[in-house]
Amino acid sequence: MSGTLLKHRQIRNYLRALATHELRVGDAIPSERELCERFSVARMTVRQAVDALVVEGILTRVQGKGTFVATPKVDLQMRLTTFEEEMTRRGYRASSTVLAADVRVPPGDVADALGLDEGQHTYYLYRIRFADDEPLALEESWLPVALFPGLYDPAPPQSLYATLAERGLPPDWGEDTIDADEVSRHEASQLGIDPERAVLRIARRTFSGTVATIYSRSVYRADRYTLWVPVLAPNLPSASHSVRFVRESSSRS
Amino acid sequence: MAKADVILAGLGGSDNIVEIEPCITRLRVVVNDPGLVNDAVLKSAGTFGIVRSGSAIQVVVGPEADTLAEDIEDLR
Repeated sequence: MSGTLLKHRQIRNYLRALATHELRVGDAIPSERELCERFSVARMTVRQAVDALVVEGILTRVQGKGTFVATPKVDLQMRLTTFEEEMTRRGYRASSTVLAADVRVPPGDVADALGLDEGQHTYYLYRIRFADDEPLALEESWLPVALFPGLYDPAPPQSLYATLAERGLPPDWGEDTIDADEVSRHEASQLGIDPERAVLRIARRTFSGTVATIYSRSVYRADRYTLWVPVLAPNLPSASHSVRFVRESSSRS
Repeated sequence: MAKADVILAGLGGSDNIVEIEPCITRLRVVVNDPGLVNDAVLKSAGTFGIVRSGSAIQVVVGPEADTLAEDIEDLR
């Protein structure tokens, strides 16, 4: 590794540690001049390191004012992991408040998604999801009663995915659809944000093999989430090597 | 009849398919005549949903989309 690259990385790591551990959101970082002196490097090297952190979303530049610690957004990858796993991985403490937990007949489109006949019952769960006590998302889930008898005895499970695995139906694939929307008045009050703010609406159908086990609808705050989607070139049926490549590298957690 | 055969029939047969491509959990298909695509037949093959947009049809089949697309190509 070249000396410049090494310096670049040193500066970046220094600033990242400063931004995440010592400074608070909105605080200014040391000036370019100070950083040049501290690391004995050219201004260009400092600027590149700062640029990298701006792209990462850790720092933000304000024209004519300087560079500041940005309000962190949580990058959300569409994977079959639980909210708790995703938050823990990012250094947040995850928690939930249950707003409703009951047995009910789901709306028609939910019944369709779960392959249920009209009138068949589901366990319904409505939760607020928190990261470090800040509300980030609202989530409604429906699970067929026929698949999970006694799911709420004695109480709704802490983790749906863990419970599904225990019951022999581990989630192994699914599909998400994502829509941008304005938050509703009711949702805004639950999330503690202003009305008419933007949200991401994520509908997920979770499968275990051929069985649809959960249908959920989540509302994520757009000001706190960046959606991150790994992309690959589409594979063609004739090119079997690329078919294998795509299958392996896209297999979700 | 194998799953691939049923899906092919549900899509209106070999002659109705312009292009078929697997995409993680779906078969993305372009057909000549969407009227020949039969949802009930596709559902009977154990598929999980059909998304239609004109001549573009997407069939939700799950992670075996790659294998199924290859099998369907072999039948054509």
